[in-house]
Amino acid sequence: MPKANVLLLGAGAVGARAARQLVEADDVARVHIADPNGDRRAAVVRSTGDKARDAGVDGRDVRGRIDAVLLAGPVGTHLAPARDHLRQGRVVVSCSDGVDDAKALLDLGPEAEARGTRVVVGAGFSPGLSDVLVRHAARRFEVVDEVHVARSGTGGPACARAHHKALTGWSMDWRDGGWQQRRSGSGRELCWFPDPLGAQDCYRATLPDPILLVPELPGVDRVTARLAATRRDRLTAHLPMLRRPHPEGLVGAARVEVRGRRQGIQDVVVFGILDRPAVAAGATAALALRWALEGRLPAGAHGLAAIEDSTAFLAALAEVGIKAAVFEGSAV
Amino acid sequence: MTLLRRAAVALGIAGVVAAVLRLRGTGGTPPQQGGWRELSGPELQ
Repeated sequence: MPKANVLLLGAGAVGARAARQLVEADDVARVHIADPNGDRRAAVVRSTGDKARDAGVDGRDVRGRIDAVLLAGPVGTHLAPARDHLRQGRVVVSCSDGVDDAKALLDLGPEAEARGTRVVVGAGFSPGLSDVLVRHAARRFEVVDEVHVARSGTGGPACARAHHKALTGWSMDWRDGGWQQRRSGSGRELCWFPDPLGAQDCYRATLPDPILLVPELPGVDRVTARLAATRRDRLTAHLPMLRRPHPEGLVGAARVEVRGRRQGIQDVVVFGILDRPAVAAGATAALALRWALEGRLPAGAHGLAAIEDSTAFLAALAEVGIKAAVFEGSAV
Repeated sequence: MTLLRRAAVALGIAGVVAAVLRLRGTGGTPPQQGGWRELSGPELQ
């Protein structure tokens, strides 16, 4: 199989990390990096190594074959390039955690299937790595009844803005075979993340996780997603951000709680991940792109819960230092 | 006028109570036993 040429759109915190993972891979020949911010783009190209190329503002001027496109720009900028590149039969991987992006990208499924290619939706930290953890937990059950995802922390500034916005609007909960809209910022629940984060109050939020998980878990009764937030986050959610977000968030975590049955016995499995969200998102997106190119993800448009061999995916991430954990004990 | 003033005070008190309820307290009880362990070995093979 020839080595792949990849176009990366977005050289922010996640894009830069994904670029570094991609240039390390033996099966990637070139990484063309595009970003509207010329200084940031140049800095990432410079620091990424010999395989990296400057692809300008949007990568339209890249000459030669492009096999796959990794969309790592801000939420709301993914659909148009996804459509364009899908039309050319390329693998498309999106890191967006926006609900509208996720819905629109999933709608590209029939076209992707017809073209025999893949659109990977929500291939970041959460959704993304959290979806792989859900699949990994679901494999332990014959029937999956409930999935509850919670996330703490943010990647780059665009992710921090999306986090701020997610506490307003409406969350989509899957319950008993139908969607329920609940107000974001409600439904406080204490979620126990891997140490040192520990217990954090989490709230319903405008997150795409249930939209990505439900199609991959036929028969599931309940799917919810929550976001860790402080009192200040909730109080100021409806206001503009009071100060500029940090260039990159600190350590974050994701936690998935999967309830199901095997041999008629109900049980619960809790998996978690602790890392810098941008680092984990970049590694997850890069690996998802390589797997999609190898045909190890199903054709069409799917989230990463569609992955069959979650064990190998998690093992590959562990090799680059992204290590999942299991909660053992009373899963409250 | 008095009615309006009373209604405004009532709404104000209700708002303060709602804000206190929304911002105080926690969402549950932390686990009393157990902990996190990295996946390794056969769990990743």
